[in-house]
Parts: sequence; C-alpha cells; structure tokens
Amino acid sequence: MRLNLRTRQAINGYLFILPWLIGFTVFVARPFLHSIRLAFSTVDMIAGFSLNPVGWANFREAFFVDERFVPILVQVIQRNLVDVPIILTFALFTAFLVNQKIRGQAFFRAVFFLPVVIASGLVVERLFQQNVGSLEAVVGLNIPTLVYMYLPARFADVVVDVLTRLTLILWRSGIQILLFIAGLQGISGTLYEAARIDGATDWEIFWKITLPMLSPIIVVNTIYTIVDGFTDIFNPMVNFIRQVAFSGSFRLGYAAALGWIYFVLIFLLIGLVFISSQKWVFYGGDREG
Amino acid sequence: MATARVNQELSQPGIAGEAVSLARKPWLLVWGRRLQRWFFLALVYLLLIDIAFAFLMPVIYMASTSLMTVQDFLDPGVYWIPRAVYWDNLTLAFQSMDYLVGLRNSVTIVFFATLGQIISCSLAGYGFARFRFPGRDLLFMFVLFTFIVPPQTIIVPLFILYRELGWIDTFLPFTVPAFFSHGLRGSLLVLIFRQFFKRQPYELEEAAAIDGCSPLRTFGQIMLPLARPALLVVFLFSLVWHWNDYYEPMMYLMKPQNFTVPLRLSILQQGLQELTGGQAGELFNEPLMMAACFLVVLPPLFLYMLTQRFFVESIERTGLVD
Repeated sequence: MRLNLRTRQAINGYLFILPWLIGFTVFVARPFLHSIRLAFSTVDMIAGFSLNPVGWANFREAFFVDERFVPILVQVIQRNLVDVPIILTFALFTAFLVNQKIRGQAFFRAVFFLPVVIASGLVVERLFQQNVGSLEAVVGLNIPTLVYMYLPARFADVVVDVLTRLTLILWRSGIQILLFIAGLQGISGTLYEAARIDGATDWEIFWKITLPMLSPIIVVNTIYTIVDGFTDIFNPMVNFIRQVAFSGSFRLGYAAALGWIYFVLIFLLIGLVFISSQKWVFYGGDREG
Repeated sequence: MATARVNQELSQPGIAGEAVSLARKPWLLVWGRRLQRWFFLALVYLLLIDIAFAFLMPVIYMASTSLMTVQDFLDPGVYWIPRAVYWDNLTLAFQSMDYLVGLRNSVTIVFFATLGQIISCSLAGYGFARFRFPGRDLLFMFVLFTFIVPPQTIIVPLFILYRELGWIDTFLPFTVPAFFSHGLRGSLLVLIFRQFFKRQPYELEEAAAIDGCSPLRTFGQIMLPLARPALLVVFLFSLVWHWNDYYEPMMYLMKPQNFTVPLRLSILQQGLQELTGGQAGELFNEPLMMAACFLVVLPPLFLYMLTQRFFVESIERTGLVD
C-alpha cells in the first residue's frame, strides 16, 4: 500500500510514542479519573472496593471537620513559599560562582550534585534527625535564640524553621545549580563584550544581560522546585495522605479527596508561575520558544 | 571589566591627577588590576569551599560516625575523627539489614526499571521531537501534565489497580510502568530525550531515509548512538531515583524478604532484634544507624564517583535548558 509522506510520518510518530501512550492511559489518565470518582465516595474494602457516592462530604470533612488537614496544608504552602525563593537564589548564586574561571570547577560541580545522588528519603531523614542539617551544626552558633530575641515571634518561627532545615533546603538545589551553570555557559560572550565596550559595570551586566538571558531557565527551575518540594518525602502532607489511606482505617475515598485538593493547589501555583512568566521571561532571538 | 572601571575613573576629573600618575607607571595599574582579580577569586574560592563543606558535612558525619564506638560518639572530646576505627558497626548493620537480600531486590528493581525507562522514554522523546502527527502538541502537554501530578493524587487508584492485577508484593509495580515511559518521573526523562533530539540536525535522518532505512532502524543505529550524553543522564537519573525511592516500595511491598535496601533501613531495629536474640535495646545506637545509612548510599555514591565527570558534562550537553 502506498501512503503519502504525511500519513507515513504520522503513523511512525504514533508508533514511537505508543508505549508512552499506553502507559499514560493505564498508569496516569485512568487512575486520575478514577480518583475523581473515589474522592466523591467512600470505599467499601470488604465488598471488593465498591463505591458509595457521598457527594462533597470528603471535601467538607477535609476543610471543616478534620483538624489535622488544614494546619498541614498551611504549613506545606508556607514552607514552599519560603523554600522556593531560597533554593532558586542560592542555586543561581552558586552557579554564578562555579562559572567563574577557577580551578576545581569539576570538583565543585560534582559536590553540588552529590545530594541528588544519595538523597534517599529515609537516610536524609535519619541524618537530619541528628540536627546535622541546621546552621548551628555548620557554624557552631546558637542562632535561634538570637532570632527569638530580636524578631517578632510569628516571623521568628519561620526564620528558625528555615535555619534548622537549611542544609536540607540547600540539598534540594543540586539539579537547579547544574541547569543554571548550563544556562550561564550558553550566554554568548559577545553580549558581555558589547556591554563592556558600552561601559556597563558588572552589576549592570548581571541585571541587564545575565538575568534576562537566564529567565527561561528560571521558569524551568521554579516549576521543578515547586514540584520537587510538594512531592518531597519530608513533606508532612505526603505522609498524612499515606496514613489516611493505608494505616488502619483504609479511608481510600477521603485520601483521594485530599490528593485532589493537593493537586489543585499545585496546579494553581504552577499555573500562576507560568502565566506570570509570560510577562518577565525573555526568549532571545532565533529560539522557537 | 577592570578596563571599563579604569576608563571610567580616567574620565572623572576628581581623580584625574592620580590617574595620570597611574598612567605614567603602567606597572602600578597592572598590579592594581591583578590585586582586584586576586581578591575577587579569593572570595569566590572562600564561598565555594564553604558551600561545598555544608553540602559534604552530612556525608562526612555519616561516614565518620559509622566508624565510632558508642563511647567515642558520646565523648564530646571526640570530634569527627574516632579514636580507633571501629568496623563492627558496619558488619552489624550489614547483617541486621540482611543487606544481600535487600541488595538483590534493589538491583532487580533498578535494573529492569532503568532499562525500561531508557528504551521507552527515548522512543517517546524521539517521536515527539521528530514526527508530525495530529494531536502531538496536546499529547505533549499530557507529558508535562504527568510531571506535575503528585503521586499522592493517583496513589489510591493505582494501589487498587495493582491489587486487582495481583501485583502487590511483587516488583511489577516498579518495572512494568517503566517499560511504558512511566514509573518514577518518566515524563521528565521523555522531556530530556525530546529536547536532545530536537537539537540534532535533520541531515543524517534524511540521508538514511533516502537510502531506504526504516525509521526504527534510523533511530536505533544512527540517532541513539548520537544521544550518548542524554542516555547517560537518563541512565543515572533513573538508576539513582529508583534506588533511593522509598515512598512507592513502602506502598507496594509488604513482606520483609521483598524489601529494597532503603526499606530495610526502616526495619533495622527489628532486624537487629532477630539477629541478636532480643538484644536490640542495648546494641541499637546512633553509630549503628549511621553505618546502616552509609550502606544504603554506598552503591549510588560509588557509581557516581566513577561516572560524575561524564555525567556532569553530559547534563549540560543534553540541551535540557533550551
């Protein structure tokens, strides 16, 4: 049979993505739709997972009855709002340092990526139970007391929370550092040369050239950091949902509802980043964008 | 940049006299510039070494504590370096974790999952990068969508699905999705391959097509060998993520003999109890815990040491950032 080029292209394309398509249908799309149904039901384990529709009861319970869910949700959002800017700033700063013409560049890059390799959930948890991750362990100062002395309590709580998790937060920046380095190396030297000839200072060069040229990577890194933070094993929500679903009571319908609230939250956050990024991202010259 | 600053200074009248005297003694200018550069570099090194230390400290702590006796560990006079190297923690942890059984399970899962993801994700990435077909952009949106769906949203239906299939307490929930581009962050791996293949020139494929080479063969014999940086990155990511994964094995594996190495860590105390006939209360301590942790991270750490040079360079060449 003779097909025209376009049809053949299309068939070949579908063949290549076929395994992915099957996987997507079976392991993502179907469970995703299934979990909507679960979220509006209670599940009877004994009668072979039969569903009793209960309307919005699960969602009402989450927000108005369950006294654990809302505080955890608030904590997760608060932590991520603090962590994401810290991780991004730190990753950019570190990438900037590594990208200087220095010896041992390969060594530093390897060290900064190390946490990605060895950060097995439970190991990290055990390590940080010993307070290895706090700033105190790093610089040997009792900073929390100082913070409480000089800052209002509400604010101090957040600062101390960050300080005690500092290494843990920094450990989550390995991939971001690497992507920023790649981005920095991708900026053409002629741009810098031109700026210098025009008399721009290093400071101006950073804000007017480096940062705009990096902005697409900043978006990628922001989204990655958000997703990573929300699915992190230390995230109390992750553990809470697992407990609801599988420890003791097996409240699968309620767990699915919680999972859905969580998903909508992440989706909105990323949507916000994405939409706002249209305003400040610079897609240079000949890229497809 | 130093030139720019000096030029600026020269144009300012207030320091013109100084500038003229500098211009008369060019070696002073050179020295000033060099000093500035050295100062800057010293600062960069200082900061980098500091950051590197903060990154490495937990690992060093883990390694050094695992070689300490309890006395050394509790002694405030012993800092970082144990009085004598004490290997018993490692052997005891090795035995109580039933390390070889865990290793066998972990290696089985990691091997098949990584293999599956490399094959299926490279196929999908190539398909999305190089072919035009109706609905391609929508389907690609689904790839990105999959990445942001948290596992918690679909874990309950997946659990029910695997139970119906009889996959609970087998390795199939980890390996089968991997052969269909899913499993741990499969969508991210598809994305890496797509970005890589998109950057390659079309000429090779066109030449192959003119010579009558089928698309699958073009892919396997021409494009895949070209994709070595992407393959290496995906290989290491997939391997490391599957090795370190804890959430999913905890869900789907029930019997201790099926536990992966990180899961074994969670039942270390029970293992010790069984091994020593009920003496876990006395023998369980922080150095032992750290020894067990060290054993968990050892295989990926070793692999990373061997491959990090290629790896870190490769990640930049995959074009992930474009």
